[in-house]
Amino acid sequence: MGLFDRFKGPPAPSKADQEAAARRQADILMSLRAGRVPTSTLERLQGAANGTRPWIATLTPAELMITRSHGLKPIAAISATCWLHYGWSWTLGHAQGWETALTRLREEAKAAGANAVLDVKMRTIPVGPEDSMDFTLIGTAVKVDGLPPSAEPIIATVPALEFVKLLEADVVPTGIAIGAHYEWMTDWRNAAANVWMGNTESRPLSNLWETVRQRAHADLRAHARGQGNGVLAHLNFSQMFEREGGENQPKQYLARHIVVATTVDARRGVPLPHDIRMVVDMHAGGTPLTGTTRHHQSYASNDAEGAI
Amino acid sequence: MSDQIPTHAKERLKGLRSSQHSSGVFTSDFSVNEFLLVRKAGFEPIGLCVGTCVYHVGIQYGSWNRNQELDVLSKAMYHARELAMARMRAEATAMGADGIVGVKLTIKRLEWDEHLLEFIAIGTGVVHGDGHKGFRAHDGGPFTSDLSGQDFWSLLHAGYRPVEMVMGSCVYHVAHRGVLSGLGTVGRNVELENFTSAMYEAREIAVERMQFEAAAAKAEGVVGVDIHEGSHGWQTHVIEFFAIGTAVLPLDQEIAPEKIADPIMVLSVND
Repeated sequence: MGLFDRFKGPPAPSKADQEAAARRQADILMSLRAGRVPTSTLERLQGAANGTRPWIATLTPAELMITRSHGLKPIAAISATCWLHYGWSWTLGHAQGWETALTRLREEAKAAGANAVLDVKMRTIPVGPEDSMDFTLIGTAVKVDGLPPSAEPIIATVPALEFVKLLEADVVPTGIAIGAHYEWMTDWRNAAANVWMGNTESRPLSNLWETVRQRAHADLRAHARGQGNGVLAHLNFSQMFEREGGENQPKQYLARHIVVATTVDARRGVPLPHDIRMVVDMHAGGTPLTGTTRHHQSYASNDAEGAI
Repeated sequence: MSDQIPTHAKERLKGLRSSQHSSGVFTSDFSVNEFLLVRKAGFEPIGLCVGTCVYHVGIQYGSWNRNQELDVLSKAMYHARELAMARMRAEATAMGADGIVGVKLTIKRLEWDEHLLEFIAIGTGVVHGDGHKGFRAHDGGPFTSDLSGQDFWSLLHAGYRPVEMVMGSCVYHVAHRGVLSGLGTVGRNVELENFTSAMYEAREIAVERMQFEAAAAKAEGVVGVDIHEGSHGWQTHVIEFFAIGTAVLPLDQEIAPEKIADPIMVLSVND
């Protein structure tokens, strides 16, 4: 195709093209059902792994520097998606969706001959049919110099710099763990709705919250156990709803809680080997020494335009 | 306190106790940097501690033309926070933590009832790596602190240790002005003295209460204090003054001031 051919608009897809697209669609479907990486993706990953195709990294140049100086080599940007409909439970659907995506991501990492996946980001496209969501993970598969490809590549949600800092402190970020729990409480005695005017705790609702949170965290730990001995929970999401019971029916309350965490395998008592020194950044941003809150709150108006 | 913990919590906490072994799992909401710094400071996270309280706040109206503390609301804010914090601390105690770092205290309004407020206290329980118990609070229980992992490291290197997260609250009704007094000030700049004094009194009550808590915790001082004003959906003229900070004590082995390194000045040229 010549440089200027693009102005002619796309050519009508030939019958062969259409058939190829249909075959690819079918292959993606069948591969995912069988827990395999789709064929075209597999070819791309293997090509990047054996050096016949260029490597692809989501890393910034600065991150590339860090990975190189620590003996890591990028192989390929890898991704996985599971678009899930919550036919049964919204809360548990989230755990299921992420776990499926995680399994698929691990397959891609294996196919790329990686030891680890760095900087894994969780993404969702805000479109699509009601009661459904896409659970997408994107990251960069890397190999460690001098190590054979791993049968169980680790999935690190942290960027390259944090990845190497953790490794130096003998902490391995191993994967993602999800804890999710929901519970309905039917308020038969109408104890949660308060008619008294005074201060009082709503014990039924407090207890509902405590139970749901604790079970979600227990679920998180159970899910993390296979991957490491600790989690850094970067996301806690909780909601509570009231549902009117209708005529002569008690009110119902729904509480749900989702925790998403990076699992780590940490050896206790091995601190970061580096000295930590205090620095003050003379740059304009806030630091604990220059204050992180604004010193003027009274004139929130028009100073953004700058000086004359 | 531990008999207040529901069965599931105990199960969870038992799971955590065994987290000392390689088979257990610790949980924490630390960022990577916080995690590394807390460990660098000689502590290990053992588990997230959460305390929740859903509270029905009573109803109280201020008199139209009076400056006054709305003690029903003050007490509600106090009591509900207290319950959430105490439950969080009970979890920490049950898992054998020496302290809780990075406590976040949040208040959410539940949408179906304007009088229901949800208080959540969440932080990471930590133990001293060498089993040193000298970091616990004066009552032998875990210390509490809203300091981040970074601030925690800095505080220890400044020669202090956290003792208790202390707070003071005052919900205050600022008097409305009478119609006639408004007329008298036409064409003049006048200080609204009763408004000014309302701010003074309410703020003072909040800070004094926080200071009282620090004294009760046998602390030397309070760092990282934030005094802020808020309203949780009350009528206009009703303001909550809230003071919060971490009460601290010098380390058992005091660090001489001249031993504290000066920070290095750097200039990042990123943007």
